[in-house]
Amino acid sequence: MAGAIYIIYYTYPHQYNKAGINPPDTIYNQAKDNSNIEKPCSNLHPEWRAAQVIEDVSINASPDCEPDNPYEVATSVRGTNNVSMGTLMHTDFAQDALIMGEDLDKDGDPDIINIKLEVVELNGSSPDGEFLINTFDVAPGIQPGLWVYAPKSRGMAVKNYNSLVSNPLLRAPSPVIRVEQGDKVYVTLENTHYLPHTIHLHGVDHPWMTAKGEDNDGMEEHAVFPGKSHTYEIQPRHVGTMLYHCHVQTAQHFMMGLGGMFIVEENHPNNWLQTFNVGAGVVRHPSVAVKKEYNQEYDLHYQSIDKKLAHIIQEANDPRLVAQHMARDYNMTESFENYFLLNGHSFPYTLRDSMIISSENEDIKLHVANFQRSAIALHIHGHKATITALDGVDLTQAQQITRDVLDMATAQRNDVHLKTQNDGLHSYGPGLWMFHDHVPTGTTTDGIEPGGNMAILAYKALLDEHGMPKMHEHLLDQVFNKEYYAKRQAVWTEGSFGALLGDAGILEPNYLQMLLFGAAIGLLVGLFVLLILVIKRKFKS
Amino acid sequence: MKQILIGLLFISLYQPVFAMEHGGMIMDETGMIMNANPDQLPRDCPQISENKDITIHAGQQYAEKFTGKMFAFDTQEWNVKPCAKINITFINDDQIRHQLMIHGLPGYLYPDGMFHLELNGTGQLQASLILPSQKKTYLVHCELPQHMEKGMKAQLKVEGGDGDLPSIPGISEPIKADLYNTNWNQLSYAILAFSILIGAAIVLMSVIYSEQLTRLLAKLGAKLKRNSPSDLH
Repeated sequence: MAGAIYIIYYTYPHQYNKAGINPPDTIYNQAKDNSNIEKPCSNLHPEWRAAQVIEDVSINASPDCEPDNPYEVATSVRGTNNVSMGTLMHTDFAQDALIMGEDLDKDGDPDIINIKLEVVELNGSSPDGEFLINTFDVAPGIQPGLWVYAPKSRGMAVKNYNSLVSNPLLRAPSPVIRVEQGDKVYVTLENTHYLPHTIHLHGVDHPWMTAKGEDNDGMEEHAVFPGKSHTYEIQPRHVGTMLYHCHVQTAQHFMMGLGGMFIVEENHPNNWLQTFNVGAGVVRHPSVAVKKEYNQEYDLHYQSIDKKLAHIIQEANDPRLVAQHMARDYNMTESFENYFLLNGHSFPYTLRDSMIISSENEDIKLHVANFQRSAIALHIHGHKATITALDGVDLTQAQQITRDVLDMATAQRNDVHLKTQNDGLHSYGPGLWMFHDHVPTGTTTDGIEPGGNMAILAYKALLDEHGMPKMHEHLLDQVFNKEYYAKRQAVWTEGSFGALLGDAGILEPNYLQMLLFGAAIGLLVGLFVLLILVIKRKFKS
Repeated sequence: MKQILIGLLFISLYQPVFAMEHGGMIMDETGMIMNANPDQLPRDCPQISENKDITIHAGQQYAEKFTGKMFAFDTQEWNVKPCAKINITFINDDQIRHQLMIHGLPGYLYPDGMFHLELNGTGQLQASLILPSQKKTYLVHCELPQHMEKGMKAQLKVEGGDGDLPSIPGISEPIKADLYNTNWNQLSYAILAFSILIGAAIVLMSVIYSEQLTRLLAKLGAKLKRNSPSDLH
């Protein structure tokens, strides 16, 4: 018996075993399914890239892989009531999404602006099966539950009848909204969602009550319930980069994605603004003031997602269960950030629609806002940029700081002047310069690098005809793959180093050892049974 | 109210997907009607069998009679004859957008097999459609994100339909069901303990009365044997 126990002890089969002289061979690619590999750029709308004029709106060129829909830009400038039916049909806007009214100061642009926003759930659950609906991938294979404000849309919320993918208007982040100083702006929240929400105009000059004496600050106690609508009224006197966000169960709703940039631009004659910048990123029709000083303008919306919080809407369908799980069962003080998004996407999707694309000697205006739970430390490789405004308040010349890490607490905004002048200070010359949050987790997607809010400041000559970075072929092949973000792919697979740094294979089990172990166990069991029989017989006798 | 009727030519220029023979759309700032069909008979219908007027309300208030829902229509099921013409009055009682879509219709009359009404807010619309003769259940829903999922789902049955669709409020079960807490109280624990006792008692009794039990079983077996051949007659 002692012998059997000895054998069991020494032949116990472990999960991990020593390999001897030669460790197992390298496995180059653990993922067997090639259908999870995506084309870096599907090049769906090459005709959208060129500079063009639609509805008398001049729209700047946008060499990105996925440029903003120029019809959407034109409609965002003219209003849904001032464009032709043909233009409107090229967008997903409802016909009352953006109504431009009277030119009060007779300076050639409308001053009464009616904006309608709906609340949309992305990657939500369905009682009709194990799938997510109105999907929006933030990175290959990554579909966290999200809530966003969206311009009021029309028709199918999915791309077509056979698809579960959201139409292009329904996406993260909540759209950037631009209005002119002194405009009479009416922002109507039409709550199409199944939980109460509000719009709080953070930092935007607004009276506490509407003219009718109703709530105008979007606080919790004046929530807009499902199926209801409420109009917030503003006439902002102060110019700057501000925010709007939901103030109901703020910790959760803010982290679910209910927040966007609200930018008040200077009043100028003939200043038709691009009211919505859907998906943030480049502004294809900048304001009069921006055009005077800058060649280009970009909105950079930094956002983070707690995957456990985001999953709550995917595991229950009953609104009561969602409310309970989110507001009470889940403890927001134990929240983590797992996904880091720039303009609704994580790397590598940021390369499709959120690169800064420039030539040499350009002046570029950036509006950077931090919607993350944690602070960001934005670093642009090869450049030092100048902060011109903080939280919507302009800095004097003496106050302006030029630096290469822009730190921003939650909800803070920086207006930034980025120069691509190759002078060894502002720029070190042309390149595909990465820019990212330098907080180490910011460049990961659920812990996987490269991911997170990484993007590229690209000099035009270094982009291919689809607007994708040159010299990145191997990396792009590797990361435009769901398997990579599902953590099933080795990180370094390049050339001969693939064999040296790929995944170590697995050992075959030692069958002799296994046989001995099994036999010893059997022997013990047999002995035990025999023992019982002997004892029984003794008792009988 | 400025109505804009988009003709077939216009649609074919901008949205090839609508460019079907009978396709059409009426849209203004209050909403839209797509693929209404008041006069084209389906191929299998020699004539209209019945003219049915249906009023459908949509709104958050209609979900109140169900549990675990947020939006609903006031009715969840309609029954019509084959080749019926339905004249729908769609009323939106909410301050937000709602839709009424019917899916699975013949594509040669209804592009993408779809009939679609949409109201941008409180208001009403009227439109007709003619159904084919096939015995079938059609999905009726609002396609706004999470509206069908949260209850705005119904079914239209021709000649009794070909079954129920899943997760129609008050009618059918969901495919992916939610999990709810169960009330485990003293009574349920007592019932559990009692059933365990009964189970144990059965075993104990059969050991104690094993002889009687064997006799009883033998008797029963003999009786069965005697009876079974007579059953055949």
